[in-house]
Amino acid sequence: MHSKQREIWRGTLAMTPLSIAVAPWGFLVGAYALEVGLSPLEAQSLSLFVFAGTSQLVALGLMQAQAGFVAIMLTTLLITSRHLLYSMALRDKISPLPARWRYGLGFLLTDELFVHTPSNDGKPLNQWYALGAGLSFYIAWNLATLLGIVAGSAIPNLTELGLEFAVVATFTAMLVPMIRSLAIACCCATASTVAVGTAMLNWQAGLLLAILAGMVAGYLWEQASEYLQLKGPAAKSSAAEEPQ
Amino acid sequence: MIALTLAAMAVLVFASRYLFLEPRLPLELGPKLRRLMGYATPAVLSAVIAPMVLIHQGQLNTDWQNPYLLGAIAAVLIMLISKNTLLSTVLSMLIFVALKFWLFA
Repeated sequence: MHSKQREIWRGTLAMTPLSIAVAPWGFLVGAYALEVGLSPLEAQSLSLFVFAGTSQLVALGLMQAQAGFVAIMLTTLLITSRHLLYSMALRDKISPLPARWRYGLGFLLTDELFVHTPSNDGKPLNQWYALGAGLSFYIAWNLATLLGIVAGSAIPNLTELGLEFAVVATFTAMLVPMIRSLAIACCCATASTVAVGTAMLNWQAGLLLAILAGMVAGYLWEQASEYLQLKGPAAKSSAAEEPQ
Repeated sequence: MIALTLAAMAVLVFASRYLFLEPRLPLELGPKLRRLMGYATPAVLSAVIAPMVLIHQGQLNTDWQNPYLLGAIAAVLIMLISKNTLLSTVLSMLIFVALKFWLFA
C-alpha cells in the first residue's frame, strides 16, 4: 500500500507542470461555455465527461457558430482520432490489466498523460503512477473549469480578456519539441496554412481539412525523402564505379 | 440538444481512447495508416494555433503589433532555449498580457 501511494504521488508530481499550465485553458472552457449558452451544469459536465480540451473548445466554437450536430461530431471525431494512436501504442501494456484499470486509464488518456507514459521502454506499466498522473490532471482540469464557470457567471465578457492565448501557449509548448524532422515541419506548415486560409473563407470544415492536409503532407514528405534516400546511395555507388 | 451533443462527444472521445486497449479487439491499423496517423498530433496542434494567432475578426493580421503573433514567437523561443513547458507557457502568457493590455492598448 505504501508503494502504491508513493507511485500515485510520483505521477502527480510529474504531471504538475502541465496541470498548472493548463489551468487558464480549463478556466477559459468554463467561462466560454456559459457565453455560448450552456448552463453551469452542462459546462462542468463537458469537462467531467468529455475531458478533452481541444475537442471541448472547438465544439464550443462550433456551437457558437450555430453549426449542426453532424458537423460537431465529425470535427470531434477528427480531433480525437489521434487518441487511437495513443491507445494503440499502450495496447501491450494496458490491455492485459483488469477491466476497471483499462476503462479508467483509457478515460484519462489525454495528450498530456501520453507524454508521461512511456510506451516502448520494455518495462511493464506502473499503473499507480499513470493513475496519479492522469487523475491529478483530471482534477486540475475540472477545478479550473469550475473556477471559469464561477467567474464567468459573475463577470461578463471574461472570454474577451485574451484567455484563449492559453491554448496557443500550451499547444506551442507541446508542439515545439515534437518537430524533430522535416516531414513533421512540412506537416505543421501545411496544416497552419490551410487552417488560416479556410478560416479567412469562414469554412466550417476548415479545421478538419487543415488537419488532413497536414497529415497527408507530412506522410508524402516522409515517403519522398525515403525514396530519395534509397535512390541516393545506389546512385553514388554506381557513380563511384564509373572511373574504373 | 446540448445534453445529446455532450453525451455523443463523451462517447466518441472515450471510444477513441479505449478502442485499442480492449484485449478482445483483433484489429490493428495497417502500417501506412499508422504512419499517416503519426502526423495527427502536430497537424491538430498547428491547425488550432495558426488561425488563433493570425486571424482576428475574419482578417489576416500579420502586423508586428499583433500580441498573439509576438506571444507565440516568444513561446517558441522560450521553449527552444529552456525546454521547460511550464516556464514557456507562463512566461509567454505574461508577455501576451503585457503586450495586449499595456504596451499596445
